[in-house]
Amino acid sequence: MAETILKLEKITKVYGNGVVANRDVNIEFKKGEIHSIVGENGAGKSTLMKIIFGIEEPSSGTVEYKGKPANFHGSMEAIKAGIGMVHQHFMLIPSFSVVDNIILGDEPVKGLFIDKASAVKKTQELSDKYNFELNVNDLVSTLSVAKRQKVEILKTLYRDAELIILDEPTSVLTPQETQELFEQLRGFTKQGHTIIFISHKLDEVKQISDRITVLRNGVSKGTYNNDELTMAQLTNLIIDRDLENDMDEFKTHKDFGGKNALEVRNIVMKHHSKNILDDISFAVKKGEILGVAGVDGNGQVDLVKTIVGLEQVEYSGDVIINGEKVNDKTVKERRNMGMAYIPEDRMVDGISGTLPISDNMVSTYYDRDDVSKGALLDNKAISRISDELIEKFAVKAKNNAVAVGSLSGGNVQKVVVAREHNTIPNLMIAEQPTHGIDIGSAELVHHKLIELRNEGAGVLLVSADLNEVIDISDRIIVMFEGHIAGYFPDANNIDETELGMYMLGVKRQTPEEIGGALND
Amino acid sequence: MTDKKAKKLDLSITNETVFSFVKTFIAILIALAITFVVLCVVSKNPVNAFITILTGALRKTRYIGLVLERTVPYTFAGLACGLLFKAGFFNLGAEGIFVMSGLIISIVAINPITTSPILHPLIAIVCGALVGGVLMLIPAYFKAKFNANELVISLMLNSIYVAIATYVVRNYFLSQSTSLIATPTFLETATIGYIIDKYHVSIMFILMLIAVIGLQFVLKKTKFGYQVRLAGTNPNFAEYSGIDSFKLAMKTNFIAGMLAGIGSAAQILTQASNFQPSTTVTNIGFTGSLLAMLGRNNPIGILVSTFFIKYLEQGTSVLYYNDTSVPSEIIAIVQGVVVLLVSSQYFLKKFREKKLLQEGLNEHE
Ligand SMILES: Nc1ncnc2c1ncn2[C@@H]1O[C@H](COP(=O)(O)OP(=O)(O)OP(=O)(O)O)[C@@H](O)[C@H]1O
Ligand SMILES: [Mg+2]
Repeated sequence: MAETILKLEKITKVYGNGVVANRDVNIEFKKGEIHSIVGENGAGKSTLMKIIFGIEEPSSGTVEYKGKPANFHGSMEAIKAGIGMVHQHFMLIPSFSVVDNIILGDEPVKGLFIDKASAVKKTQELSDKYNFELNVNDLVSTLSVAKRQKVEILKTLYRDAELIILDEPTSVLTPQETQELFEQLRGFTKQGHTIIFISHKLDEVKQISDRITVLRNGVSKGTYNNDELTMAQLTNLIIDRDLENDMDEFKTHKDFGGKNALEVRNIVMKHHSKNILDDISFAVKKGEILGVAGVDGNGQVDLVKTIVGLEQVEYSGDVIINGEKVNDKTVKERRNMGMAYIPEDRMVDGISGTLPISDNMVSTYYDRDDVSKGALLDNKAISRISDELIEKFAVKAKNNAVAVGSLSGGNVQKVVVAREHNTIPNLMIAEQPTHGIDIGSAELVHHKLIELRNEGAGVLLVSADLNEVIDISDRIIVMFEGHIAGYFPDANNIDETELGMYMLGVKRQTPEEIGGALND
Repeated sequence: MTDKKAKKLDLSITNETVFSFVKTFIAILIALAITFVVLCVVSKNPVNAFITILTGALRKTRYIGLVLERTVPYTFAGLACGLLFKAGFFNLGAEGIFVMSGLIISIVAINPITTSPILHPLIAIVCGALVGGVLMLIPAYFKAKFNANELVISLMLNSIYVAIATYVVRNYFLSQSTSLIATPTFLETATIGYIIDKYHVSIMFILMLIAVIGLQFVLKKTKFGYQVRLAGTNPNFAEYSGIDSFKLAMKTNFIAGMLAGIGSAAQILTQASNFQPSTTVTNIGFTGSLLAMLGRNNPIGILVSTFFIKYLEQGTSVLYYNDTSVPSEIIAIVQGVVVLLVSSQYFLKKFREKKLLQEGLNEHE
């Protein structure tokens, strides 16, 4: 067997608020393998990776890298030692360009100056090689979440690290993009690089891994060879129960009078004379889930922003919520009409990390009668509601007073979903709603969305996860380069490869066919 | 586990609040120790000097009165800065507001607009507060509308305000009885007397207590306080949640400006006899930002820190009467060290984590 490159021995980590994130974890990583770490939200995966990368110190236990004890203080030391990490939450500087972010801390120099030209060339080549379709001169602040994820990946690849840690690198990539990344990863292992991979998508894990370690509640449940484990066994190791497969069974079919919760009519948006949105029209009926499929960056972000009222760019066309035109209405006014919104970037828009869970649980309805009286907040009610939501959405947290920022990524997402669900919406805009959520909790979130639908709300689901879109939507539209390329009136009868053709722009339906998205 | 455990009064070091108290306390001890070391170097009789700094303020009732009286304007300045910091504005405009509000207050105070000793100061205070509130809207507007840097703008405005106040006093309200650039002496009716003579407690002191408790209440219990919390910690999130950030910026800055304006009135109408633009209220606004940090932007914390600093200052000046070898700036050392230690993330962190490790492991076993 290959030599051990990294060895964790009896690693225990207790955080500042008393949370035990890892307990006596032993793992050996072999040179040249792809080793996946899986486990529920809050199982301690990211913490363990941060310990390896020198961002967190273990409370006890030792890390051995290449046969020598390695207690890195700060990521700089880890990077010098040949370790690279793609973080679950992006560590990019938004006001810097892609290339500046990538070379930061490792700038190519020519004499006294940074050799910008060669840096641009090298990073652009790298991006093109992986088909990431990034323009390395763009500012990071202008990029979608999926694009940012790619920048993070590039940053690590650029440094040619020997040990690459990928903490949920694929959570918002489309299946095709994931496959491309996997090919690269295999190439790396052939050159002797080692890869630690974290994902909640178990089919990906099964596909790519040589070995798999399962964490539960901070404790290792063992390391297994991939071919020793079936998918069902793996699921059981992680969550201790079976998943229900068929979401359709939850759907009830009531008649809500065919009224529309949301109508979008002829939206056109230009940016630098390029059409970002090109005559988009569709409707979300009461009591249905309309899925928006598409490779990220084809206009979904601007479409959603236009609908919720956060768009800065001028557009023409109408947004109509519950029969009322809302183009000139503020976010608040739209929310008061019953709109809820799960944003794609939870850390930037969806929470305030330093505030307690309780404050974060009511931000979008803190002025509602059950949580406030006149100018005053009802802190008792807020605390009670937070506890209920923590319970209902299985948020793993000590109590409602801990800072949201200290929760694991998936648990932060659950807070956002719980809050938006509790606005009791009649229109739910859900953007990547299960981003980073473990399989058990993803099921829960899907149930909640379907529940809303069953009760008569309209749900607009925008997701890079094709399976998710197909599984829970009633109807589906596909976006490509700012227009609707295809419309599928029945999500139960869909051919995935066919859908893929529309996503990649190979096929496009006639305007009459697409018109069904609005008029059916 | 969630509710029962959380509700029990937790006095162990691992509790956040207890920890921050202990941290502040130890920071003060260290600052005092450093002061002592410095005293050993500069003073012939360091022990005596040290004791004088610590207890000098208690030696005469008048000294206690001075401490209480001086606490008032600085606390107002601290509250103004603390509110701004909490809302996410690094606006140091309180300094300039003290000057401009001071100008208006003084103009009211030298004119016989009423003979009532209650109405006269009241009008002055209200004018000072309003001018403060309105002027604070300027950096807020540029920040909220154009995302201009409020720190730069507020600092620029500070110098402009001193220039304006000087110009106005020199050309329109110059006192004939002194060679300084100063207004004539305030009218008897405008000055604020003491309610408790012995301790220099005036109506401004009561007003300060009301402001501290009121602001504490507003920040903790009201919707407005909640909005401030959201916008101050993550403006994107506030926007996403539907909070009108422009309106909120205007409101917070207006209130902060009013607090500074009232603070200026407290300084001028109780402790000065005329207004000199370049000295009467100088540095109060800047010190306010330091006090806000010391009190961690918490109103009661700000009051306590201000009192503490003024108390030591009084002790230091008592010492200075007796032992001129000790520079009165020594108080700045105490202040600096405490601010540094209190605001440091790392101070005592290791110690606390060790405790946590034990607790955490025991709990789960
Ligand atoms: N900075 C922190 N301070 C306090 N507690 C933390 C901190 N970071 C993580 N935790 C806690 O440690 C536990 C493990 O978190 P971690 O982020 O390692 O989980 P994870 O396995 O990566 O989960 P996810 O799949 O949701 O990303 C969680 O209970 C979390 O609340
Ligand atoms: Mg994680």
